[in-house]
Amino acid sequence: MSTEVRPRRGVKATMAPPAESSAARPPEPESAPKPPKTFEKRPFLLDFFPLEGADQTRLHQFYDRLRAGRLSTTRCTRDGELHWPPRTACPKCHLEELEWVDLPETGHVYAFSAVLAGAPLGMESEMPFAVGLVDLDGAPLRLFGRIEGRPWTELRIGQPVRAESYDIGDGRVFYRFRTVG
Amino acid sequence: MSGRAVAIVGGITTKFGVRPTTWPELAQEVGAALFRAVPELRTEDVDSLFVGAAEPERFAFQSHVAPLAAEQMGLQPHRILQRTELACASGQSAIRSAYAAIASGLSDVAVAVGIEKMNIPSMAEANSAMGCVMDRAWDGPHGATAPPFFAMVAQRHMLEHGTTEEQLAAVSEKNHRFANTNPTAHFYEKRFARDKLLRLPIIAPPLRLGDCSSMTDGAAAVVLTSEERARSYTDTPAWVRGSGQYSDFHNLANAGSLTEWPGLTRAAGEALGRAGIGVRDLDLAELHDCFTISEIVEYEALGLCAPGEGGKFAADGRGDLGGDLVVNPRGGLLGCGHPLGATGIAQAVEVFQQFSSTVPPARQVPDPEWALVHNLSGSANVHSVMVYQRGGAA
Repeated sequence: MSTEVRPRRGVKATMAPPAESSAARPPEPESAPKPPKTFEKRPFLLDFFPLEGADQTRLHQFYDRLRAGRLSTTRCTRDGELHWPPRTACPKCHLEELEWVDLPETGHVYAFSAVLAGAPLGMESEMPFAVGLVDLDGAPLRLFGRIEGRPWTELRIGQPVRAESYDIGDGRVFYRFRTVG
Repeated sequence: MSGRAVAIVGGITTKFGVRPTTWPELAQEVGAALFRAVPELRTEDVDSLFVGAAEPERFAFQSHVAPLAAEQMGLQPHRILQRTELACASGQSAIRSAYAAIASGLSDVAVAVGIEKMNIPSMAEANSAMGCVMDRAWDGPHGATAPPFFAMVAQRHMLEHGTTEEQLAAVSEKNHRFANTNPTAHFYEKRFARDKLLRLPIIAPPLRLGDCSSMTDGAAAVVLTSEERARSYTDTPAWVRGSGQYSDFHNLANAGSLTEWPGLTRAAGEALGRAGIGVRDLDLAELHDCFTISEIVEYEALGLCAPGEGGKFAADGRGDLGGDLVVNPRGGLLGCGHPLGATGIAQAVEVFQQFSSTVPPARQVPDPEWALVHNLSGSANVHSVMVYQRGGAA
C-alpha cells in the first residue's frame, strides 16, 4: 500500500512525509494555498478524525500500522472472526484477546455515490467527492471510504481500487481508496 | 399484548419548516397546542413525559432537555421523566417508552413529545451533526452522511432491479402532493410535478433534491393513556396493538446488500404478529421516506410487493389513495420535512387524526381501522414499527 502525503484541505501533495512524532507538522510550500482556518480551529467535537495515540485509544496500533502503509484490523484469536472496524472485544465470543492482521490492499467498488452538497464542516471545499463501499479482494469485508483518482462521473460499479493511507495535515493519518487502471 | 391496553387519545403537530424560533420555544408552542387540541387534558393528569430529541446538544447546545421541555410545556411529571434518543426514530422511541410505562402500570397518563431545531446559521455544522449519527470515527472522516448512503441503496436497487429515476420521482410526487393538503408540512405550499422533480439538482447521485427529506424545525406531541381512562379524552382512541424493533448493524461495512432491509421485515413481522393482523389488513401506513428509495425498499420489506417490485409499486400508485393502502397521507418526511425527534410523533398524530376523521378530505383514508407506523434511524440500521387500531373496545 502506498503511503501518500496529502493534507486534506488545499495543500498540494508535494510536501515531505511527516516526521515520526505526531506533533510534527509537514512544512508548507510557499506557493501552496493555505488551508482554511476551520482546519486549525475546528473544535474537537466537530472533528470526525479520531485521536490516534496510545494515550487516547486502545486501537492505536491501527493508526501506527496505517502510518507504515498497512491497512489492518483485528481478528479474534479464539473463533477467527475478522472484524471491521477494529475492536477490543470479539462481538461473537466476547474474548478480549485479539490479534492484528493486515488486510488486502486491493478491492472492487460494490456501490458508490458522491457528495455534491451537504458536506460536514471542514469538508466543504472537498466537494464534489466520491464515497463508496469496497469489497476487499480475498477478505470477507466491505469497507466504506472516500474514493479518489477519478471524478464520480467516471466511476463504475466493479471499479478496481487500492487502499492508501494519507496524512490529514496535522500528523494524524487515515485511509481511503484510489482507483486503479 | 400483555399488560393494560394503551391508546393515543390526542395529539398535535406544530408548523414544520424553517422556523424563526428556538428549541425551548418549540416546546412551549407544542405544549400550548396540545392542551388546546385535547381540552379534557389537565396538566395535573400528566404523570410522565417522554421527550424525543435526537441532537439538541448539536443543534441547540442543550442537554438535559427532558426537564427543560417539561418546564416549557407547564408539566411537572412525577412518575417518569426522560429523553429518548434514537436519531431519526427518537420520536417513536418516546411513544414506545410511554406505551411500555402505561401498559405496565408505572404511568397512567403520559405525554410523548418530539422536538427538533435543525436550521442553524452554519449549515456545515448542521451537516456535521447529521454525520455523527453514523460511526463517526470510521465512516465520518470519509464524509458519510445520510444522502450518500441512501444514494448507494438507490444505485444498487437500480442495478439489481431496474428501478428508475421516474419511479423515485413517483414517490416524491405523491408525498409532496399529500403535503399540499397539510398546512403543518414544510412544503405545504410548494408544488412538485414529476418532470420538475427530475430536473432538480443532484445532491448525491442518483438522488436529486426532491428525493431527499429536508432539515426542518418542528415539534409534535401525543397523549397516551390506559383503557381505564381513554374514553375520558376521546371517542376515537388509537389503540397500540403491536410494537417491534430491530437493530441490524451500525458501521456501514456491515450494511449487507443495501437493497434488502431484513430488520424492517422482522420488526414489522413482530408488530403485526402482536396485533394479530397481516400487512394486507392495513388501511394506511406512515413509512419513513427520508429518501424516495427508502419508501420503495420499505414496500418490499413489508411484503406489500415482491422484492425488486417497489419501484413499480410506486409508479402504479399502489401506495396512493385508491391503491392497496395509503402510504404517507400526511406528506411523509419528503413533504413535511424531517425534524428528527418530531417525525415519529407527527406520524402518530396523523394516525390519530385519520382515525378521528379530522384531516382534510383530500387525504382522508376511507374508514380506516388499521395503521402501521415505521421509523428507521441512521443508515436504515434500526427499524421501529408500531401498529394501531381505531376506536372500538380496549
